[in-house]
Amino acid sequence: MGDEAEHKRERAAEREAAKQEEAQTRKRGWRLMRSAVRAHPQLMILGVGAGLVWATARVAVPLLAGEAIDHGIAVDRTGITFALTGAIIAVGAVQAVGTGLRRYAAFGLAWRVETDIRMRLVAHLQRLHFAFHDQAQTGQLMAYANTDIQQINNVVLLIPLTIASTIQMVAVVVILVLRSPGLALFALGLLPLLNFSATRFNHRMYPIGMQLQKELSDVSGVVEESITGVRVVKGFGVERMQRARLATEADSVYDRSIDQARLRSNFMPLIDLLPALGLVGILWYGGHQVLAGNLSVGDIVAANLYVVMLIWPLRMIGMLVGQLPRSAAAAGRIDSILATDPAIEDVAGAHPLPDGPGSVRFERVTFGYGRGPAVLDGLDLTIEGGEAVALVGATASGKTTVARLIPRFYDVHAGHVRIDGADVRDARLSEVRRAVGLVFEDTFLFSDSVRNNIAFADPEAPNEAVVRAARLAGADEFIRDLPEGYDSIIGEHGYSLSGGQRQRIAIARAVLADPRVLILDDATSSVDPSKEHEIRAALAEVMRGRTTIIIAHRPATIALADRVVLLDGGKVVADGTHERLLTTSPRYREVLARAALESQPGAVDDEELLDAPGVGD
Amino acid sequence: MGWWGDNVPEETLSRDEATRVIRRLMRMLRPWRVLIAAATLVLMAQAAALLSGPLLVQHGIDDGLPGKKHPHGSAAVLNRTVLVYLGVALLGFVLGRLAIILVARVGEGFLKQLRNHLFGHMLSLSLDYFETEKTGKIVARMTSDIDAMQELVSQGLVLFVQNAFVFVGAVLVVLIVSWQLALGILVIVPPVYFGSRWFRRVSNKAYLEVRDRISTNLSTLQESLEGVRVVQAFGREDAFTRKFEVTNEDQYHANMHTVRISSKYFPIIEYAGVFGTAVIIGYGGWLTTKGIVTVGTVAAFVLWLNSLFEPINQLSQLYNTVQSSAAALAKIFGVLDTRPTVRQRQAAVDLPRSGTVDVQDVTFAYGANEPVLHDISLHIADGERLALVGPTGAGKSTLAKLIARFYDPVEGSVEVGGVDLRNAEFVSLRRRVIVVPQEGFLFAGTLRDNVRVGRPEASDAEVEEALRALGLLERFAAFPEGLDTEVRERGSRLSAGERQLVSLARAALADPSVLILDEATSNLDPGTEHAVERALEQLMEGRTTIVVAHRLSTAARADRIGVVFDGRLAELGSHDDLVAAGGHYAELYRAWATHQAAPEVA
Repeated sequence: MGDEAEHKRERAAEREAAKQEEAQTRKRGWRLMRSAVRAHPQLMILGVGAGLVWATARVAVPLLAGEAIDHGIAVDRTGITFALTGAIIAVGAVQAVGTGLRRYAAFGLAWRVETDIRMRLVAHLQRLHFAFHDQAQTGQLMAYANTDIQQINNVVLLIPLTIASTIQMVAVVVILVLRSPGLALFALGLLPLLNFSATRFNHRMYPIGMQLQKELSDVSGVVEESITGVRVVKGFGVERMQRARLATEADSVYDRSIDQARLRSNFMPLIDLLPALGLVGILWYGGHQVLAGNLSVGDIVAANLYVVMLIWPLRMIGMLVGQLPRSAAAAGRIDSILATDPAIEDVAGAHPLPDGPGSVRFERVTFGYGRGPAVLDGLDLTIEGGEAVALVGATASGKTTVARLIPRFYDVHAGHVRIDGADVRDARLSEVRRAVGLVFEDTFLFSDSVRNNIAFADPEAPNEAVVRAARLAGADEFIRDLPEGYDSIIGEHGYSLSGGQRQRIAIARAVLADPRVLILDDATSSVDPSKEHEIRAALAEVMRGRTTIIIAHRPATIALADRVVLLDGGKVVADGTHERLLTTSPRYREVLARAALESQPGAVDDEELLDAPGVGD
Repeated sequence: MGWWGDNVPEETLSRDEATRVIRRLMRMLRPWRVLIAAATLVLMAQAAALLSGPLLVQHGIDDGLPGKKHPHGSAAVLNRTVLVYLGVALLGFVLGRLAIILVARVGEGFLKQLRNHLFGHMLSLSLDYFETEKTGKIVARMTSDIDAMQELVSQGLVLFVQNAFVFVGAVLVVLIVSWQLALGILVIVPPVYFGSRWFRRVSNKAYLEVRDRISTNLSTLQESLEGVRVVQAFGREDAFTRKFEVTNEDQYHANMHTVRISSKYFPIIEYAGVFGTAVIIGYGGWLTTKGIVTVGTVAAFVLWLNSLFEPINQLSQLYNTVQSSAAALAKIFGVLDTRPTVRQRQAAVDLPRSGTVDVQDVTFAYGANEPVLHDISLHIADGERLALVGPTGAGKSTLAKLIARFYDPVEGSVEVGGVDLRNAEFVSLRRRVIVVPQEGFLFAGTLRDNVRVGRPEASDAEVEEALRALGLLERFAAFPEGLDTEVRERGSRLSAGERQLVSLARAALADPSVLILDEATSNLDPGTEHAVERALEQLMEGRTTIVVAHRLSTAARADRIGVVFDGRLAELGSHDDLVAAGGHYAELYRAWATHQAAPEVA
């Protein structure tokens, strides 16, 4: 019993905390939007100013029409009718110019703000540390830069538009009240309901819309699974089962859609009804006032026009009210990223990296990812300048982590990583990064020409340097075989290369940067063994006079190194030449044997019997 | 409000295509014809109610208020008119609600049926369809294409029909009430119409450009995020930020182009409205002095003006949504018109329990391509284990697919238990011949659901029995929620090996006579590797098994080995026979054996 109460309290407290956090996020969102809008005061001023002109002109038209009826048409004075008609045409021109300018300013402001915020976000993301990107999902970040920013756009757009609409509304109310408070009440009294119900409608529509989106994504879930698993579906003949599952989802979509239609049927007809009731009220109250001689027919017509005129502004305010919290929350999410400081930055008074042969020292280094367990635990390791060392170890032994700490992708928790005697945290980050060239195991190439990919570190590099780097990485030959040679576009929108080819381009990219320390993290794992032989010869040349750290399993690659360091559990457990370790370290033999088993040459068959057909291409 | 850019159709249909699509749509809508007729009547009545408002204002002003006709007016007439007006307004409200519900029932009902029909048809298609079309495209037919129509149905359809009726009604009513004044304001319709057409044309082009720029910008962004580690490793943050700035600004400029277009269009529309009012006042006023129209008519026309302009504006906005939907529908019809290449015959027979397989003179080609299998004949005895080996693309997987009748041979025949597969009844075929894929594929649902895929009508006890037979029951029962564990939920992700085990249990539940295994190329986690091997051994017991082998160690354990080379069955025999024969297999085996024995330093 007590437990349950306790539980309830806890949950209430949690809800409260979540609510507060949401409010906090929205507050930050407001701040971000305010500062972004403030950067373009001229557009805001133009938007509101043009809106003012537009509103004034628009409000004048019914007045002129009313005057024309009373003093021209009703009393057969054609001259006055025509004069007032001319006035309406002139005022209309002003209104038209006003509406063009205010739209231009409002949309212009919205797109400018969207573009600015996106730029800030992306520039910031480029500078955020590895640890941030390790836990962030690309899709999520893309959503921030795309859909969330659109939410901001939606609200920024509505602000100047709504200001003008509000002014117009106030003017209409004032004019009608001055003419006849009773008429104003009957004409406009019910219209706020439109605003009220638009807000309510948006508020209630939102969750149903979300539900519908979820049901739709469930439908696509079933479809995607059935199509990617079509061989299993057909192999077991369970088409009927899948059809039944889809039917269930389709039913849910139908039900939600009908819910949505019902809600819409409560609101949409009001858009016609409320103004119509205003017109009825005008005809009744205004009509009797005309009979009593207090109002004119022109007043009735003018009031009619005002009612029709206010439908849109009221709906727009309703939309803005519905949009505000959503946009603020979206902006808040973006702001929380902008507020994340890059953890890896130059310290105050960072000094240049001293010249040197590229010696690397780990001194009692302890490190773990995030709050996870320590991956390196008091690691000591010295690599002399110009030396070639192979790091060998089982999965999770810490060898890739060693590779990532040298260019200071992460900061150590304790101890020091030194390059040529300088702690990497004290040296300028840009120089550390330039001094270390790392070829990752999962090669990432950009959608660009082969040449630009290789010359990534130095886009100005002469052609010969690019070709030389490619040759050293054993890539020159296949690049020349590509239809456009070095100008061939690769990556997602270009030629697709094999894993081994990609790795070789990545090696060329690192070679071109000409680093003091070259780190190859399993960088030849996808290269066909028969070709690896060629790369090895070239690599030997690259390694000459350069500190090289090779993370590899294939004995032939390990043989490129002068020395082998065996890591286990984040510590060095054996150190020596390959031959010595083979004879003295059973653990070394075990690690190599395991690795050999995992990569049987010739075992990979591209033609798979039952794989998923090309998902996502 | 609307951004106008949401639904710019990428491709539009030609007039002929559009006519065909509409005709076919009409046929498909036949089951809803009563509801459609009702909705049409309701929408017409609603339009009439809406348009009669100004008529009542006219009547109230002319006959109820003091003026030329009745110098003192009439309170009774005024009150009566107001009451009728109130009634008409409320009627319009009720009709409006009804219309939305009716249209939703038709539209959503149609979409539901279309979803089910299209999906059922897709699943009936043969494997070649799924191999030639990209998954993304197939899925898009069921998702983005139908969703495009969903949007039309839920938001646009009512508005579309409503506005069309209101516009036609408004034109008729103004012509009837005063054709002279009507002609005066109808003069403004052509500029609005052509303005809208211009706007649609120009803005569609501009929005396609926007869409292009957005996708370029997003792919730059995606690349900068996916490649952020490389960018930082080479210290290229600034260069990349500048690169993004270019595409980001491109997107801005494309958007501003659309803003400039609409900043020209909307003033025209607004001005036309005001100009119309001026025409009614000026020209109408002149007609009044001539005694041709009344003051009330002038007032009514001012109100009708809105009913003339608003529909044109709305319809031109909806036009894009309608076009996108038509294009989507045409693509969907394209799928519905695709016929399965592997079909069940009329007089199909059940496959017997026997597991003998006879491949006779089989030649096979994918579509109109060069044959990938030539003249293959092969007899596999009941309960025999045959391994198929050969280089990539030699055709061993294709041969396996023919035995499972994922395709029909171009020449020759495949028989199981003495029955030509082309004469086999589908349900029995899928029970007797089972393929276990390389990677265990899991459906959303529980472990139990996933095993039950093997035989959907199996009881819980039978599912458990199948697991027990493979020695897996305890293993899966130990999951947090036992066999009811959701396989796709976070935290209960199954390892590759475990997925494979589920896949084997599924096959065991199906209890086939012929088992086709595609050996996994990648290694399984050591924790499950052993369990998979044991379960496989159990599963193969007493069944004809054909293994598409990627490892020679697997092949060596089979009763016989078929070496497929260049689309032909090059060698066939036991391991020892083939090694002794000194052909391809012997060569492969020797290379492999030396590699296994000594991982020497080069």
